[in-house]
Parts: sequence; structure tokens; C-alpha cells
Amino acid sequence: MTASAVATLKTQRRPLYPGWFYAPAAVVYSVLFLAPTFASLYFSLTRWTLFDATFIGFDNFAQFFREPFLIQGLVNTVIYAVITSGLKVVIGMLLAVMLTSQIMARGYLRSVIFFPVLVSTIGVGMTFTVLMHPTMGMINQTLAMIGIKGPGWLVDPKLALFSVALVDVWKGVGLATVIYIAGLVAIPKDYYEAARIDGATKLQNFFYVTLPLSRPATATVITLSFIGGLRTFDLIWAMTKGGPGFASDTVASVIYKQYQAGFYGLSTAGNVVLFILIAVLVVPLTMVLNRKQGHE
Amino acid sequence: MAGLELKNIQKTYGQVEVIKGVNLKVEDGEFVVFVGPSGCGKSTLLRMIAGLEDITGGELYIGDKLCNDVEPRDRSIAMVFQSYALYPHMTVYDNVGFGLKLAKTPKDVRDQKIREAARILKMEHLLDRKPGQLSGGQRQRVAIGRAIVRQPEVFLFDEPLSNLDAALRVDTRMEIAKLHADLGATMIYVTHDQVEAMTLADKIVVLDAGVVQQVGSPIELYQRPANLFVAGFIGSPKMNFAPVKVDAIDADGVTVSGQDVINLRLPIRTSGVNVGDALTLGVRPHDLAIAASGTIIGRVTLTERLGNETIVNVELPSGASWLAVLAGDHILNRGESLSFHAETSKAVVFDKNGQSLVS
Repeated sequence: MTASAVATLKTQRRPLYPGWFYAPAAVVYSVLFLAPTFASLYFSLTRWTLFDATFIGFDNFAQFFREPFLIQGLVNTVIYAVITSGLKVVIGMLLAVMLTSQIMARGYLRSVIFFPVLVSTIGVGMTFTVLMHPTMGMINQTLAMIGIKGPGWLVDPKLALFSVALVDVWKGVGLATVIYIAGLVAIPKDYYEAARIDGATKLQNFFYVTLPLSRPATATVITLSFIGGLRTFDLIWAMTKGGPGFASDTVASVIYKQYQAGFYGLSTAGNVVLFILIAVLVVPLTMVLNRKQGHE
Repeated sequence: MAGLELKNIQKTYGQVEVIKGVNLKVEDGEFVVFVGPSGCGKSTLLRMIAGLEDITGGELYIGDKLCNDVEPRDRSIAMVFQSYALYPHMTVYDNVGFGLKLAKTPKDVRDQKIREAARILKMEHLLDRKPGQLSGGQRQRVAIGRAIVRQPEVFLFDEPLSNLDAALRVDTRMEIAKLHADLGATMIYVTHDQVEAMTLADKIVVLDAGVVQQVGSPIELYQRPANLFVAGFIGSPKMNFAPVKVDAIDADGVTVSGQDVINLRLPIRTSGVNVGDALTLGVRPHDLAIAASGTIIGRVTLTERLGNETIVNVELPSGASWLAVLAGDHILNRGESLSFHAETSKAVVFDKNGQSLVS
């Protein structure tokens, strides 16, 4: 190869933009993400006020795991994440199938389903707290009209977590539906036509074509909603504050309570634990979900 | 196996009429090719036969059964799609056996049929693979295998070769022809490639703008095109056309001339033609030969030397561009003046409505 040819090759391989173009994004990312991440790793090993910090090793972690309600918080967090992501997958998929078929007012219904996603979580939490009031709430009053005694949605320790999870699903299913709609409309209609000629019923179409071919959308919905479920805080806080007792506490609400009490080092250690919990659960999950399927 | 019959078949989308009353009879075991330019309605017609499009008007019979409102699965048809439509999450084995599985065919019978289809198509070694691991040609074979196992009465092919490269297209075309010979099944094949149509078909149906222009054997369409559209569509390179006027008529033929043609005597019998009528002359590029005192004179604008033949692009006095395919290798210079002799026994003339006057 001649020198000029090598030079040409080098020119061709040069990146499209000079390296310093990345600098603004790198600065923003470092200041807002990397620095706080490493700072919190450090502060989780200290006893600190806002003004000074004393290094105490892993004492915060030991203390955090000694919290009597932490185990329940961990279990609640996983239950909450599984319920919300599971329901969002099932309901989101069914709604997407409905909203991609030939039905009346399809565009309007798509907007209606997506609308709760746009509403403030705190607002939704406050509204549903009123709706779910055991005696004055509209839900139980409506049930009473048909002779059913409604449960104490948010005051029954056995129900509180599930009630909040249902509200989370109501608020978040619109996003899952939109992701599924995008996935479903991308499935070539030839597959359905081939299945139709082969004699597939609508149900068989769903199980043999729609479900397997919307796997990428399912992976996205599960990943997003599972992570969202694991780090949930705002809705729990707006509706139950982790109560009654510690019945609906999640790791995030436990951390927040410690932060409120002024245990900054302890709550930072809790955040590190939550970070590790999410990584430990989500990394293998996404690896399984995104496993290559020999797609074309 | 069964034939099929289309009686005044129509298709409209709102106000737009896409298929305008097609009548066609396909005999049992016949290989029929629908050919035409993009948007002519050939795929729509095929999809109506498959049951994937509703029939707006007319009657469709498969065998003796009126099938207008019959579900695709009950029409005893199988279809090979342009995209192959192989389910990416299933192995070749499962793709081929999918229809049988839905029909609740016993597992051992299903297995036997899948392996038999794989043997016919020489793809036994591919059964455990997924479509993503196959080449274009292999995918095509799997798609055909999926059709074969159902043992349909009619096979429908929707441009099945258009996603293959040129060499593979020729091979697969031959395989489909062989398959037809082996199975003896009725096959309807849609293509816009007239070479595929000419090589595969027992009968070609030329469509344009939702109307059947001509139905006939490939040679019939090549030698006796019914109108200007068919003449221009069938044959490669396409037929040359020139406007002419009738100079004289006698019992053995007519003499025509025009700006590009000097006193060309055509040994054809026509009826309803008078001296002075304006006609269109059609001459195939293969029917032109260089001659010292030919009736057609032009200037060379481009030469394509293919070794066994030479394609010459010439500009005639009117500015019209004609092609001549000359046997053997010729070295011709751009701008060189050439005189051609036309094989008049194979020439065609069309009236002012574009209809052939050669019976």
C-alpha cells in the first residue's frame, strides 16, 4: 500500500466530529451523574452532616441492615416491582392489541389511555387517596350502592401495598401501551396473512404471531416498569407514607424516612444498597429478555 | 388438483376501481402468470383469489366451488409471499409444519409430510435452523416448502423471486418450473418480470390498469401481441415503434412508409385498412439486420457488445430511438450511419387505437 493510500485510509477512518465536541455533554454528565454517584459511594462510608463527614467504614451498611422494617421494605419493593411490571405487560399488551385493531374512536382512546402518564404522580396519589377512602371514598360508596362492602384499600395492612400498585399500573400502563403499539405496528402484516391462509384463528394469531414478535417491546416494558417499580417512592409517599405501620414501606421510603430523621450517611448507604439491588435484579433480567432469538 | 375460474371479477377501494371485470379460466394443472407493470392490479387479483382481499363484484370459482366469501384456509390454496413471511421465532421445521399444526394433523403424519417436503426441496439439513440463519434462496425454498406440505389444489406465488439476486433468481426459477412439472399442481404466479413470465408460464395474463390486455401462451403473446401495450411489455429488449401511413394495399399485404421507414412492404392481411390510414409499425429489435440498402436508416448512438450479440441504439430521422439486436460481435462507431433490413413477416401494425391489425 502506498503512503498516500494509507493516508487516505486514515482520513476515511477519522471520526465525523472532533473529540472536544463531546466535552459539553461529558461535563454535564460528570457534574450531574458521575460526581454524585462517587460522592454518595464515599458518603455512605461516613457519618456526615451537610458540613462535615467522618469516615466510619461499613458501619452505615451494618446499621441499615439492622433496621427492623428493612427486610419487609425489601420484600415489599420486589413484590411491588413484580406486580406493577407484570400487570403493565399484560394490560398494556391487551390494550395495544385493541388499539391497533379496527375499532371506533381509536385515536381518542389512545389519548385517553396515555393521559394518566402526563399527570403528576403526587396529584394522582392524592386523588386516589380520596377515592380509596374506606367510608367517604367514591370507590367504596359505589360498591356500597350495589350492596358490596368495600375493603379498606389503603388502611388494611394486607391491602395497602397492592392498592398503591394498582394505582401505579393505572398511571403507567399508558406508556406500556404506547411501547406495545409501536412494537405491534412494526410486525409485517404478511405474517398475519400467511397465518390466515394456514388457518389460524384470531387467538392463534395472537399466541403464534403477535406475542412472540412483540418480544422486543415486552423486554422494554418489563425492564422499564421493573426498574420503576424497584425505585418507587413518590406514589407510596403520597398515598400511604409506607403505612399502615410499615405495611407498604419500600426501600426508597425507608431511605427517605432515615434522611428525614437526619441520618444522611445511613440513608446514602441505603441508596447504595438500592442501586446494587436494582443492578443485581435487572442486569440478568435484561440479559435473558434480550437474548438473541435468531430474528431476521 | 383443481382449476379455477374468474367471472367478471371487480375490486374497488371507495371510488377507485382497481380491477375492472376480469374474466379468466385456469385449467387444472396449468401454470398461469399474471404480468404487468407496478400498480396494474396483478397482486390485488392474486390476493382476491387467496381470500386476503374481498371481492367487490363477480364470481370466483376454485374447482366447482364458489369461493367469494370462503375463508382463505378453506379455499385449498397455499401462497408464497414476496417477503417469504417466515416466522422468525420458529425453526424451519416449525415454519413448514405450522399450517398442519393448526389443522391438528397428528404429529407423526406432520413429521412425515415436513420431511417429505424438505426432501423434495433438498433442505433436510436446514430443518433445525431459524430463518435468520438462512440465505435468501434458502428462505425462498422454506416458503415453498410451507406451501407444499399443505397439498393445496392451487399454489399462489406473489413475486417470489424479486428479493433474490440475478443468478439465484435464474436457479430458483428453474426449480419452480421443475416443481410444477413434478407436482402437476395448478399454479398462479405474479411477476412484473416478463422474462419470468415467458420462461415459466403455460399461459400469460397481461394486465394493465386493472384490465386484462391479453391472455395467451408466451409465444403467442410475443409473436401476435393484441395491442401496443402487450407488444411493448412482452419481449426484451422491447419492441420498436414508428408512426407510418398506408401507401398501397393488395391481396398479399400492405406497403407503408413514414418519416423513419421508406416503402416497407408487409406481407400481412388486414381488414378495414384504407390507403392513407395512420398506423403504428412495430418491429422487434431481433428482427432487424444490417443491410446495404435497407428500408430503415439511423445513426448509432450507443453500442452494447455482449459477445454473442450486439445491441445497437440508433436514432432515426424523426428523432425516435430504436434498438437492434445483431447476432455476433460488431464494432460500430458512435454517429455512424446504418441501414437496416426489417424481417417484415414478423412485423406488427396497430391501428390508431393501438389494437393489432395482424390476425
